Amino acid sequence: MNLGRISLNAFVALTAAFLVLPILAIVPAAFSAQSFIRLPPDAWSVRWWGTFFNDDSWRVTLLASLRVAAITTVVSVVVGTAAALGIARSGPRMRALLTGLFLGPVVTPAIVLAVALYSMARATGLVGTTVALVIAHTTLALPFVVLNVGVSLDSLDRRLLLAAAGLGADDFRIFRSVTLPLIAPGVAGGAVFAFVTSFDEVVLSIFLAGPTVKTLPVRIWEEIRLAYTPVVAVGATVMIVLALGAASASRLLQRKRS
Amino acid sequence: MSTVEFAGISKSFGNVAALHPIDLDIPQGQFLTLLGPSGSGKTTLLNICAGYLAPSAGRVVVGGRDITALPPRQRNMGMVFQSYALFPHMSVAENVAYGLTVRKLARDEIARRVSDVLKMTQLEGFGERAIRELSGGQQQRVALARAMVIQPDILLMDEPLGALDRQLRKEVQFEIRRLHRARPRTTIYVTHDQEEALVMSDRIAVMRAGRIVQIGSASDLYESPVDTFVARFLGESNLLEGTVDIVSNGRAKLGVPGLASPLEGRAGQGLRLGGAASALLRPEAVRAQSGGLRALVAERVYLGELVAVRLKLDSGHELWSRRLAGEWSARDDVEIGWDASAISILPDASVQS
Repeated sequence: MNLGRISLNAFVALTAAFLVLPILAIVPAAFSAQSFIRLPPDAWSVRWWGTFFNDDSWRVTLLASLRVAAITTVVSVVVGTAAALGIARSGPRMRALLTGLFLGPVVTPAIVLAVALYSMARATGLVGTTVALVIAHTTLALPFVVLNVGVSLDSLDRRLLLAAAGLGADDFRIFRSVTLPLIAPGVAGGAVFAFVTSFDEVVLSIFLAGPTVKTLPVRIWEEIRLAYTPVVAVGATVMIVLALGAASASRLLQRKRS
Repeated sequence: MSTVEFAGISKSFGNVAALHPIDLDIPQGQFLTLLGPSGSGKTTLLNICAGYLAPSAGRVVVGGRDITALPPRQRNMGMVFQSYALFPHMSVAENVAYGLTVRKLARDEIARRVSDVLKMTQLEGFGERAIRELSGGQQQRVALARAMVIQPDILLMDEPLGALDRQLRKEVQFEIRRLHRARPRTTIYVTHDQEEALVMSDRIAVMRAGRIVQIGSASDLYESPVDTFVARFLGESNLLEGTVDIVSNGRAKLGVPGLASPLEGRAGQGLRLGGAASALLRPEAVRAQSGGLRALVAERVYLGELVAVRLKLDSGHELWSRRLAGEWSARDDVEIGWDASAISILPDASVQS
């Protein structure tokens, strides 16, 4: 191996470490016996896992997060797939316009969105409700679905749709029997992105959550401001595991298809 | 099975006319080929028939019924695409059954008809295969089976053999011909390949620049082309350019610079006295003849039972001859002639359009 090759490998390893280490560092902190986060912990224990899963204020937020993420996923997959189909059918200029519109929330600063959505939620009395959180998360998750499904649609052979129509199928039948099965990988990918986006969303959620409905990231944020206890690390670890689970599930699904 | 009538069908894309008004009647059960180079409008006409494109003007009438405004799914036509357009996520049997499932036929009726058509297209035992496991020729047959199983009024084929290699193309040509002869069904077949057109068609419509230039049987077109475009498009041709000396009673004489006497033959339409035209002489009509024109053999191409010979006349003209191998001696210095009945005097295609 020559020097260039070695230095390239080292650079790649360093970059990977830079990306992954801070995230992984939180995991040992979750197994600390102490009452504050310190790396590495002086003594090990699973006591904070007990706290996390027994304390209602934590368990309920985890369930709320899962519920909001699940509803957000369903809503954004349905709306986003429909939007992607519409975009794919429109002319080149309309297409550019619509794509820009649907990707808007990704480039808009989160705090701007948060303020805007908060004022809307206040005006309609929705602050602190699941509905408000789902709407907010959907604005963020939708672009990923539109993008993923859009890519699948681009590679879909239009002549398949013509062939199906020629064989007597109506539009809904064509969608159900030809379009949907062939764009399924894109829909699945969009769904995973939507779920993860909602599950780890914090800025909008801080504005829109209330005492009755609170998501896990909001609870972590509140806890950290009061006490820097390892239960925060437990919450973070749970989130990492769920996000990894969702990502690998989608990979497995796509590999099975291809 | 039905008659098809195109009445004044035209199509423009923006300012570009893809089809000039076309009138065409196809009798029931006829195999009609639209033959022409790319951009001649043949696929546009096919797509208008299938309902994938709306004509700018005119009517499509099938079996006496005006279907111009009907969507494709209500037309009961079987389309075979150049790319086959098979559903990649379905098995062979599911692909073939698609049109029947959509028509909500009983399950055992579907199974019976799928199995029949697979047998007919020599795909028995392939029902459970995935599409990607099939060769190009097999995919082509699945596409054909899928189009035929719905018992369409009209079968439409858009260069269905374009993706196959030469040997396979020949086999499938005869296969399609056999299926058509066994159960004649009105068929419109689009191709730019003259051989396909000659092998399969009852009737051929030669298209150029959005117009039907000539329509007739293969032998009509080959023996009596209306202009040099059709002559060039079907079969091999020698064309000698000259000036029209005489036109009368369907015959004409063409003065060709360098030739001592004018060439006389059947006159194409639209010849003008004194105008430019070409004499068509098919290579199989050019033969050795003692006392004929003197020529040099410039090239000899062995084609099996035939030999193609490139002859250079004293006038500078070049002629191809295509005769049985024994007819041309090995000598390079020959005298040649042709059957007088073999000559057609044709207007140049560019003058017509």
